[in-house]
Amino acid sequence: MFKKQSAGNDKQAGDDQRQHGEQLLVPDLEQNMERLERFLGGGADIVCRTLTHRSFPNQRYVLFYMDGIVDGTAIGTMLLGLLEDANSQVKEEADSLYTHLMERSIAVGKIFPATAIEEVGYAMLEGSSVILVDGSLRAIIIDTTGGEGRSVEEPTSQTVVRGPKEGFTENLRTNTALVRRIIKSPKLRFDYKIVGRETRTNIAVIYLQGIAQDDVVKEVHRRIKQIEIDAILESGYIEEFIQDKAFTPFPLIQNTERPDTACASILEGQVVIMVSGTPFVLITPVTFVKFFQSSEDYYQRYDISTFLRLIRMTSFFISMLLPSLYIAITTFHQEMLPTSLLISLAAQREGVPFPALVEAFLMEITFEILREAGVRMPRIIGPAISIVGALVLGQAAVQAGLVSAAMVIVVSFTAIASFVIPAVNMGIAARLIRFVLMILAGSFGLFGIMSGLMVLLAHLCGLRSFGKPYLLPFSPLIVSNLKDTFIRVPWWAMRKRPIGMASNQIPNQNRIGGGKRPDPDQEGA
Amino acid sequence: MISPRQLASTVILFLIGSSSLFLLGGNADRDAWMSVLVGALAGLLLLSCITLQIQKLEPDRNLIEIFKLYFGRTIGFVFGFIYVIYYSYKCIRNVREFADLSIMFLLPDTPLSMVILIICFISGYAVLGGPSILFRMVEVLLPILITIYIVLFVLLLSAGLIDLGRLMPIFEHGFKPVWAAAIPEIISFPYGEMVLFLMFWRYIAADNYEVVMRITIKGYVFAGSFITLMNIITIASLGQFASWSVVPLLLATTFVELGDSLERIDPLVSLLLFSAVYVKLTAYYLGASIAFSYLFRISLRIAAIPIGIGIYCGSFWFKSYMHQVNVGFERNLKFHFPIFQIVIPIVLLLVMLLRKKVRSKSNSASSTKSVQVEATNEARKESVDVQEAISRQ
Repeated sequence: MFKKQSAGNDKQAGDDQRQHGEQLLVPDLEQNMERLERFLGGGADIVCRTLTHRSFPNQRYVLFYMDGIVDGTAIGTMLLGLLEDANSQVKEEADSLYTHLMERSIAVGKIFPATAIEEVGYAMLEGSSVILVDGSLRAIIIDTTGGEGRSVEEPTSQTVVRGPKEGFTENLRTNTALVRRIIKSPKLRFDYKIVGRETRTNIAVIYLQGIAQDDVVKEVHRRIKQIEIDAILESGYIEEFIQDKAFTPFPLIQNTERPDTACASILEGQVVIMVSGTPFVLITPVTFVKFFQSSEDYYQRYDISTFLRLIRMTSFFISMLLPSLYIAITTFHQEMLPTSLLISLAAQREGVPFPALVEAFLMEITFEILREAGVRMPRIIGPAISIVGALVLGQAAVQAGLVSAAMVIVVSFTAIASFVIPAVNMGIAARLIRFVLMILAGSFGLFGIMSGLMVLLAHLCGLRSFGKPYLLPFSPLIVSNLKDTFIRVPWWAMRKRPIGMASNQIPNQNRIGGGKRPDPDQEGA
Repeated sequence: MISPRQLASTVILFLIGSSSLFLLGGNADRDAWMSVLVGALAGLLLLSCITLQIQKLEPDRNLIEIFKLYFGRTIGFVFGFIYVIYYSYKCIRNVREFADLSIMFLLPDTPLSMVILIICFISGYAVLGGPSILFRMVEVLLPILITIYIVLFVLLLSAGLIDLGRLMPIFEHGFKPVWAAAIPEIISFPYGEMVLFLMFWRYIAADNYEVVMRITIKGYVFAGSFITLMNIITIASLGQFASWSVVPLLLATTFVELGDSLERIDPLVSLLLFSAVYVKLTAYYLGASIAFSYLFRISLRIAAIPIGIGIYCGSFWFKSYMHQVNVGFERNLKFHFPIFQIVIPIVLLLVMLLRKKVRSKSNSASSTKSVQVEATNEARKESVDVQEAISRQ
């Protein structure tokens, strides 16, 4: 399906093949067939059907395809057409069999010629069918890509209450179609690439011409081109190769399995990278606040969206800071607590044999193990884990005096807070930083936490995503962009595209014509 | 590059810095805030007539390059080195303040060397990131800190602690003690410290130098009013006690109770004060490192290491917090700092103006001009070399 682009656009792949000594087709059909079989290494899934045409009795032609990765219906229709055609008489005798087939007899939309064995072989590996003609130096490649795949389903990792329920699938063509169906603009660009020596994974770089910044698009292309790897199995591979800084807990590239999120990003001037074989597409460049936004924020009313965003931000800080604050206050700064609370805490901790830091570490590690078990275990065993987790490790540990009840509350609340962050990879960042801050809090109290936060802030200020500052609307401060950060103003107030992401070449940054808020009185008058 | 807004934020937080720890102009008693105001005005005069003018004559050079250009290689080097030491010393003072107060209010049992090590590390991390990291951090920090300050003031107000009557009567002993407390102490601390920005102004991405001047002065005026306001609030809430306590503002906040949920908010307030001190000491560390890197033509990342080690070791020179404060307020502020903040800049400005005049005159006399141009070119080339070395990092 992508052969046309890879044959036409992706000159690099072609160059590679030529360097390895490209084998051109020869007039002898037998020899071509043998070489093609050798190139593909044989195998039971290669289907080979020899046909003869009534008007060209001396020339045979052969249909090749790989079973399972082709669209069965398309093959059936095509074969039917070919057979019908084979029995008909060709009027113009001047036609060669090749041109006749090429122009009159194949009942499939996308066909194109090929001249080299490698080209034919790779097309077959992608799911195309191939016709080799006796005596012709060219083969016909017919796009019949298909086969079994998951249908479009509701995304499981990023769910919404209100909003489209479609999710990306593993099929690149389905995914591009999902985007195309939302943005019906001629400015929408799909640049295809092939990465991975062995997997030859198709990658699509999607952006809106004129709205995305040219240098960002160019940079995305440059970084993808630099990747040299044998296999790309998921977009995570690409992400790690193209992100600006390797050593950071924070995600520098966003991922989503929601077409509406991807499209919203494209419309704001970001670039989307789709990788065949995974429903997770990459969005870049991205800023820190983007990870706290859900696509639903734009579908629900602005007031509740703002509230939810603030809740998420709070949750991020809770999941990062709460255990360390608890440790710091109970170990170093008890005077901050009201006396009654202090007494009750002290009473709880009386029998606990460990210092607060060790206690917190034990519980946090326990929870991380529980969470990992929850993800990995077979679904049927689920209830067993929750019983063991909740009753044995929670209730019983407190009753046995191993940990204090307050610590169980802190750890549980932290755990729940970490699930609130819409982007899983940002949640992971908070999880990792939490442990460092806990050690700092255990050794230096609030001073340690503040030191940790200062280093964190310095780190965040130095981060960039494809050249864009990671803390973009805050540092450097762009006041008009603050409308869509931790708050969301009503749609009619967000007149302009966010500054910084979209190209500043276009004269009209307005998204909303007039930008008037609804006023029924005026309309009535 | 650094945006003008980031510059303004840094000027504000840099000036607030450690000045919120002390009762400035304490010698003037309840008129201290007048001293602060007078000091701010005098400082403004110094800033706009001397410090900014130096930069205006050479908008694309930092202090070290200007020294080298106008004083020649050897004398310029000596002056540059003196400033490296001055910046480092200021940094050491701030590190020590930070460390001693942390131990006093937050970490009674932690050894001083450990606390200083952590401070040097968190400050060094920001310096190693390059000149713009600190400025970006401050842009994020400033709104947060200002919000917390406002909340704090509101809490002090609602706790009924603030009594403006404690400021009365004004000018009880006339204007003289006010003036005596302001000059030169309050000019040297904090307002005269703007001399550090001679290291930073050239990194500002502005269309012309007018913007830099305007933004700097705006930031300065905001910081000046803020410090005065803080002074008023401290005196109005503590009265006579203000000049006796170690950190007056912190003492005032110990009286605040947040409902029944938070009994004491002073650990949180000390964090607030310390973040401003952190900004100040990092700015000095950064200034010293940049100066060092230009002097010895090495990259900033390498220069930050000896400076950091120097600051760490130098911090142990003071025997105690009281020793540090005493040395600072009794000796440095009166005799040492004015040299760096007022005397040398004035000398430098005069030399610059003189040489500029000579140069413009010598436009007719070509012989002197060629020498001048040669010297200028050499210095320019040098600065380009260093800049390249830095940008390569």
